[in-house]
Amino acid sequence: MFFKLVSRNSKRNRKENGLFFSSLLISIVAFYMIQSLSHQDVMIFLTKMESDAVGKLLLMIPLFYGLTLIILFFLIYFASKFQMERRRHEFGVYLMMGMRRSRLFLMLLAEDFRSSVTALLIGLPIAVLLSELVSLITARLVGLGIADHRFSISLTAIFMTAAGFLFLKLTAVLILSGKIARQEIGTLLVEAPEVGKKEKPLLFFFAGHIKKGKALQTFTFRQLEEQVIYRFNTLAISSLLMLAALCCFAAGVAMVQSHSGSEQHTLDYTFIDHSAEEVSRTLSEYNLETQFSEIMDIRVGLIRTEDGEYENTFQMESVMEALRAMPESEARDVLLNNFSYETAPYAIPLSEYNQICVLSKQPPIELKEAQAAVYIDPEFSSYERNHILNLILKKYPEVRIDGAIYHLINEVQTLRIVTDRSITLSFALIVPDDVFEELTGGEYSGYVNGVLNPDKIKGKSLLNAISEMNQKLDRTGLVYESYLQNMGRQLFYVVASSYITIYLAIIFLIIANTVIGVQFLMSQQKTGKRYQTLIQLGATYQTMCDSAGRQIGWYFGIPTVVAVISSIFGVRALFSGLLSPRTQGRIPSMLLVSLAMILLLGMVEYIYIKAVKKASNRNILKLMVPEREE
Amino acid sequence: MQNILEIESLRKYYGKNNSQTKALDGITFQVMQGEFLGIMGSSGSGKSTLLNCIATVIRPTGGRIVMQGEEIQHLKGDMLAQYRGQTIGYLFQNFELLDNLTGRENILLPLSLHSVPEAESDRRLEKLASYLEVVDVLDKFPSQMSGGQKQRIAAARALILDPAMILADEPTGALDSKNAKALMEKMTGLNREQKATILMVTHDCNAASYCKRILFIQDGVIFHELRRDIPRESQQAFYERILKVIAQLGGGSANVL
Repeated sequence: MFFKLVSRNSKRNRKENGLFFSSLLISIVAFYMIQSLSHQDVMIFLTKMESDAVGKLLLMIPLFYGLTLIILFFLIYFASKFQMERRRHEFGVYLMMGMRRSRLFLMLLAEDFRSSVTALLIGLPIAVLLSELVSLITARLVGLGIADHRFSISLTAIFMTAAGFLFLKLTAVLILSGKIARQEIGTLLVEAPEVGKKEKPLLFFFAGHIKKGKALQTFTFRQLEEQVIYRFNTLAISSLLMLAALCCFAAGVAMVQSHSGSEQHTLDYTFIDHSAEEVSRTLSEYNLETQFSEIMDIRVGLIRTEDGEYENTFQMESVMEALRAMPESEARDVLLNNFSYETAPYAIPLSEYNQICVLSKQPPIELKEAQAAVYIDPEFSSYERNHILNLILKKYPEVRIDGAIYHLINEVQTLRIVTDRSITLSFALIVPDDVFEELTGGEYSGYVNGVLNPDKIKGKSLLNAISEMNQKLDRTGLVYESYLQNMGRQLFYVVASSYITIYLAIIFLIIANTVIGVQFLMSQQKTGKRYQTLIQLGATYQTMCDSAGRQIGWYFGIPTVVAVISSIFGVRALFSGLLSPRTQGRIPSMLLVSLAMILLLGMVEYIYIKAVKKASNRNILKLMVPEREE
Repeated sequence: MQNILEIESLRKYYGKNNSQTKALDGITFQVMQGEFLGIMGSSGSGKSTLLNCIATVIRPTGGRIVMQGEEIQHLKGDMLAQYRGQTIGYLFQNFELLDNLTGRENILLPLSLHSVPEAESDRRLEKLASYLEVVDVLDKFPSQMSGGQKQRIAAARALILDPAMILADEPTGALDSKNAKALMEKMTGLNREQKATILMVTHDCNAASYCKRILFIQDGVIFHELRRDIPRESQQAFYERILKVIAQLGGGSANVL
């Protein structure tokens, strides 16, 4: 009998509070996803490339796990509390009928355990499938071959998810059922007293906003007033959580978007400390020369004086002056600051840079005698800075290199000259080849860029092609850096930031929505008597649903609107705080992406509101059915 | 005078076959326009079931309820809501005021449900409030009112749309004797002066003595009927007659009268 009761009750709880139950399912899925991160294809791939960084990220997972546990605890605690409050009377009856308190306590624990296990049984398979799906999709998005995808279930993740979830549920219920079981039967049997009413309503200011002339206007307003005034703390917390969710999600997606596709990919390999000839020779020794369509030199050398001095070989007073004359802006100040140190820049030979231009399908640049072009690595440039600099460069400013006068022409050049991203040039001059020899005195670093033969990699994903080539190159003894490694590094940032922000966003959103939704429905059930009175006074089902719908709209709307408005500023702040200067220039376009994401979450919120309305309509319908009351 | 309500062999059975309870087992009576009818009976006699059937809170198993020529079992949707709100006014034992609305808002609630312009009813509200002596508490919340005030607010709410009939379910049940007396006097006044038709279920003999006619129900059937001989019979005398019937009711004997 005891077990029958337990199973019936937990089934009823699930049915009556479907919203809470589905939130629990989502949180199980989120738990599993973050735990099984190391099993994702992208992560397996990254571990090969960037094991250090991945290791660090995976080390942070327990931290997130812990954090989520704490946050979810509150959700579960409050939602369970509402559920228990609703059953007070029932508990009182059990006790009246002679159920021992310890048995009631046990019964509550058993009920909860049963529903937790059900949630896990439903949630975990969904989580495993979904995480496989995410793994496949991300792998596909970044161009990893899916041929070698293996279905994987992370047992540790399952264990950790189940353990964490059960721990949370049991702790919450332990506290709550302990509280309930200790109460007097009398207090349990009596409905929880409603909060005392204030003489003067505080919320007159938005009374006018609830559409005039609608039926039940006053009732709707009073209901809302009661919920908002007496639950303002929950609403405030929910609004903050929503804000956090919106910021995380919008910023996360925008950052992913800005990382991916931010650059054109032209070079596949860079061989370090070699010349093109040497590399070609070694490649043909190993029969690899046909694998490459291009092998070319790129040299960089410090400009030095005839005596071999590096100091103060370069002056660009006119550029600095032109900069100072520009209207004040952050970009201008950065440039002024950076340029004040540029007294010994690097030089790049024109012909070699032009080869890269051709590969990137950009017009090669032309330089005459005593002319130079400015090169700034994409890592150091931004849209605004380039714009300012280009304005100045239009006027062919005069500079001095080792005492000789040169003119800077062309726009700022920003193509990557090697695949290796750890090699960056904050400022360099592109000069004609003979001038390069002269200025560097024949002392320079030589790099060789290679481009894979497109015919040879047909049918393979680029990443697979490079992985294969890496294995072959490892035998040749050449020191090289591939696009893949750099891509891996970049991918890592994308994956890390997107996973974590989106994960947090989902958790926050679930909690905020569940708290508001469950609270609304619970209080609606608690005030069911009022709706019954309305029925008696001749309210139609439609009128009451309308009124409840408006209550829900406002109840969700207030925290949501506040969160949405704040999130626009929040995202802006996150961008300026987190982004590298290189990407700062893209903030406007990223803000647009974020705005779209905020709208998307707004839609999610809308769907949620719809679901709550539906649940509330069901509640009202239940009240409409005549009942025998004695 | 014409009939406003006709009840014909009304039946309400709960449960199935063996464990069936006959709450109402073929009750027939009429209520005249302007009548103040009391329904009495011990608890479980079926008097509340009867009232709830008329109020469309529960659906009868058989028989007919005809209100102003219309059979109410056939009412659905808007018509049903209209009936509940405007044809009848219901006075509950526990007042059933919405505790988050002020007295005035509670009284005006039916208006917003039936989209009656407020201006029109403002006069009626004033009149009712002053008649029922609740002007002082119009802007208070139910939690700040006494039981009597709550019930009089509830009465004003039941009357605001000028219903054809007031159904009162033990209206004095939750009141002390002083408040109960005040309420009954107000109801009698409404009946006498405004020709309000009232159907009241009660087991309070004192309250019942304000009625013009009383039906006694036992085990789901009408068991006896009393009529007050107005104006010859005093309320006190009527009260004593009621007491006598009640005494018989308890024994369930057949030798009443």
